[in-house]
Amino acid sequence: MSLDAATTGPKAEQDKAGAKPTGNGGPYSAQSRLGGHAPRTERTGRALPFDDPRHLQAHHWMVEEAYILDAQNYSDWLDLLTEDIHYIMPVRVTTALTAGYDSAPHMAHFDENKYSLSRRVARFLTEHAWTEDPPSRLRHHISNVRTFATPNPEELIVDTAVLLYRSRGDVREASVISAGREDLLRKVGDGWQLARRTILVDDSVLRTQNLAIFL
Amino acid sequence: MTNLDLVLGDVRRGMIPAHIYNDEEIFRLERERLFSRAWLFVGHDSEIPQAGDYVVRRVLDDSFILSRGEDGQVRALFNMCLHRGMQVCRAEMGNASHFRCPYHGWSYRNDGRIVGLPFHKDAYGGEAGFKRKGQTLLPAPSLDTYNGLIFLSMDPDAPPLREYLGDFTFYLDYYTRQSASGIELRGPQRWRVKANWKIGAENFAGDMYHTPQTHTSVVEIGLFREPKAEKRKDGNTYWAGNGGGTTYKLPPGTLEEKLRYVGYPDVMIEKMKQQWSDDQLNVIGRDGFMISAASAFPNMSMVHNWPRVEDSDDVLPFISLRTWQPVGPDETEVLSWFAVDAEAPEEFKALSYKAYLMCFGSTGMFEQDDVENWVSLTSTASGAMARRLLLNSRMGLLEDGTEVVPPLTRDEYAGPGEAHVGYGEYNQRHLLNRWADVLEKPVDKVSQVEVSGVAAERTEERA
Repeated sequence: MSLDAATTGPKAEQDKAGAKPTGNGGPYSAQSRLGGHAPRTERTGRALPFDDPRHLQAHHWMVEEAYILDAQNYSDWLDLLTEDIHYIMPVRVTTALTAGYDSAPHMAHFDENKYSLSRRVARFLTEHAWTEDPPSRLRHHISNVRTFATPNPEELIVDTAVLLYRSRGDVREASVISAGREDLLRKVGDGWQLARRTILVDDSVLRTQNLAIFL
Repeated sequence: MTNLDLVLGDVRRGMIPAHIYNDEEIFRLERERLFSRAWLFVGHDSEIPQAGDYVVRRVLDDSFILSRGEDGQVRALFNMCLHRGMQVCRAEMGNASHFRCPYHGWSYRNDGRIVGLPFHKDAYGGEAGFKRKGQTLLPAPSLDTYNGLIFLSMDPDAPPLREYLGDFTFYLDYYTRQSASGIELRGPQRWRVKANWKIGAENFAGDMYHTPQTHTSVVEIGLFREPKAEKRKDGNTYWAGNGGGTTYKLPPGTLEEKLRYVGYPDVMIEKMKQQWSDDQLNVIGRDGFMISAASAFPNMSMVHNWPRVEDSDDVLPFISLRTWQPVGPDETEVLSWFAVDAEAPEEFKALSYKAYLMCFGSTGMFEQDDVENWVSLTSTASGAMARRLLLNSRMGLLEDGTEVVPPLTRDEYAGPGEAHVGYGEYNQRHLLNRWADVLEKPVDKVSQVEVSGVAAERTEERA
């Protein structure tokens, strides 16, 4: 099978019964009881060529966002999110190969809309969010970026890998969170906003004291 | 070298040697004398509703499969093949009629009975060499349930669970029996924190005093409706049987008004009125106290709170259950579940889940600041200076032992146990006194299980 002919993305893979989708995303947002408001746009076709202007814009957006998250400039980050955003990070569980699911049913770490994200951000902006005062040193490493068109010319799907290095204090062991993300970007005016994010964390048991960060 | 008698004596007078929050020797004793005997919460019936459903849970280093057999019965099976000791189940959850060991192919029904032993006749000479009949995966020494909550004990002679919990069951009902159907449990979220397990258990049991300071931010952002967290001192802390917790004082009104105040819809209130005893209803309706956080000794905690989940004045209550699973003296795995009444309206279930995520668990805005404190405390407790420091855990007591405020009378408080209004460390002392009682008592020898064994030639008793 040549790489050019390979089908990619959850949608394309649905035809192959039992096959695990290649790529991030999945049924999590659609299955969430808090995801009723979320846009349901899915990817179409193969990943865009890396010199496609849409891919270049999406990649640029992901890198800019990573710097904002590293700096914990969360007011700026909120401005990057659409009003109908669904931001979900399922709880991953170890299941048998044939189980057909890999997350705890109806449970997530994050399962957020714009309001709850805005409360989280508001909390960090008080002077009493002790868990991030002193702040962690954060580095969001973003890689494996690929972009897909959708039926809607104003929307793109982007797969990324993210590795977050989080160091607190002086000698405490830093925590590392590895995840895959599937994002839905929507064209708003001249730029893009995040309308849906699914975060597939690669750990079942998190090795960080809390998720007082965003991925 | 830790002098245990001295440590326990200090704890009993409310003076805590700071090193008990990070001490290898103390942890070894907790492992040998506490976690080997206590009833430990591991899951709930609703996590494994169908025949064949299972979840895998640990008790310290031991892995157990909580499995519902074809007969509908829930069992806790030690996750170790009887042949060479391989884990027979390496998933965390699922549905299976059998567990087959990947090493040599021995297989077991989901009730633990062995059904497959490859080449039984060729390799062992059949039953004459290895008695396959009657062999089962090792069951947990003791297993019992309350309101569908599954507890196990490593002690085969553990007292019945109800006897162990005692009057704390009165309070457990508020969290786990709001209707005849009880709760649905979802999750757990699991994460590891570099904190000693006792700190969380103590905090949930009775620490109303930390709320105004630690949780200032959630009040400031309006997550919490009450304008001041200082309101906590109007609530009480109670201790009953083998657990205790904290309450909030509600504004005046009827039972129904008070339950509506924390966000329960009338359809749920009607069920509570049918389900709860007069005393259970009086704690809320007559006395005006609403349960909040609590702990059952040693390491199970629960919380009930009612934040704003949308941009409105309405609040929505949620319930969470959890265990502080010890990993080491300085590390704890938190297993945090969301619980909701099984008969609650679907919309309530969804918003209650939202309330949980915003407040507690791996992303919870209350929880985030708690854990930061506990990690810091644990780290500081490891050194030599912590061995010189006795922390005062006597809040609520004068030096001569008289109480700063008298306990509530039966006319003031319909709940069992002893309750005091205001800040105090009564419950932290109750919890650690129980801890001291258990740590003091050496354990009996445990018997071993031989897998189709043959008579031992030696006569001396096994250690």
